[in-house]
Amino acid sequence: MNIQKYISSGIVESYVLGLASDEERREFEKACEQYSEVLQARIAFETVLEKQAMENAIAPPADLKAKIFDQISEPGRVIPMQTVPVRKISWLKYAVAACVILLAGSLYMNITLSNENRKLKGNYDLTLAELDEVKKDIRILQENPNVKMASMKGMEVSPASYATVYWDTASHDVYLLANNLPVPASDKQYQLWALLDGQPIDLGMLDYNLKQKKLLVRMKNARNAHAFAITLEKKDRPNPSVPGGDMYVMGGL
Amino acid sequence: MNLNTTYSEQELVFLLQQRNEKAFSYLYDNYSGALYGIVNAVVTDRETANDVLQNVFVNIWRKIESYDPSKGRLFTWMLNIARNAAIDEVRSKGHNNSLKNVALPENNEIAGAVTGPAMDDVGLRKVLGKLKGELRILVDMSYFQGFTHEEISKALDIPLGTVKTRIRSALIQLRTMIQ
Repeated sequence: MNIQKYISSGIVESYVLGLASDEERREFEKACEQYSEVLQARIAFETVLEKQAMENAIAPPADLKAKIFDQISEPGRVIPMQTVPVRKISWLKYAVAACVILLAGSLYMNITLSNENRKLKGNYDLTLAELDEVKKDIRILQENPNVKMASMKGMEVSPASYATVYWDTASHDVYLLANNLPVPASDKQYQLWALLDGQPIDLGMLDYNLKQKKLLVRMKNARNAHAFAITLEKKDRPNPSVPGGDMYVMGGL
Repeated sequence: MNLNTTYSEQELVFLLQQRNEKAFSYLYDNYSGALYGIVNAVVTDRETANDVLQNVFVNIWRKIESYDPSKGRLFTWMLNIARNAAIDEVRSKGHNNSLKNVALPENNEIAGAVTGPAMDDVGLRKVLGKLKGELRILVDMSYFQGFTHEEISKALDIPLGTVKTRIRSALIQLRTMIQ
């Protein structure tokens, strides 16, 4: 291939401006890998184009940025709830609070499942099924006066994240409700920790797929804890009993 | 906190892929004007242009994973998202953009009028105005109106190969003009 001739054929401009055919694109991408001159020519034109576009920028209306931020953060919104020491609230209040959280989780799942009207019916049926599940789960918790709750709020890496731990202080059973956690990358998973005197104790990995089906996920038992937290960890890491990844949520009892 | 943070392109992409809102805010502050420029070169009215730009940024936020740095700079990727979104919007509204309505150019003056509804004094369009009649129409139809070379070949009754070579040569001229 005569590289100089190829570069000056207009292919560079055609590719960058998105006017090349699929075949031309494939050929050009290969040429960029093979010949640094082609790659340099591409970058040079991209830079010129960007500069030109920047010089001809038009300021959008001032309120547009806020609208965009509203739209991108919509699915992350969860009904805020106060953290109240569990011992002080009556069981009725607790049940109502749990219902609100579980419903919010359920609704959130609905919203993310689809925005399209034609799917609403399907979602509605799903919601009913989920509510049945939720009722069952709540009954388990309701019948047990030893259950404490920790609302875990989003940390800096993911302020919209939110999750709840239900901890049975008698049986030491731990249930996790992932109200709102972003879908992890395929090589990562969430891990729940109990924090005791600042020391993390592994309470197991959260199977995100299971979380989609079941709202309350049973984790490893905890004998004692002051607070709970969730980190996002690499799968199959060498030392799973020590947290290594970013902390997504944390909350005390 | 440093409010004047600047990011390298790599950092910006990395942070955006982490769904970092501060990085997204930076992206908006730096590039919304340039992208609004291209949207306004395609779309007729400001209302529509605002909606398109909003969708463009929401799509950038949602699709940042699909950005592949080996295939081009971040701005190029965003520019193409913006151009495509604007063209789609114009087409979906049937802004008398059917090829049937594109009059065959008899002379360059009339042909200039065909090039379209959007502002002629904006950015690339301004540069486009400097191209000679036919080349200008070809670039306008392919770049600003999104017609394929095949469609243009049929509409203007020019052989496909000729459409391709003329658009290429128009692009080369465009390049020298903006440099």
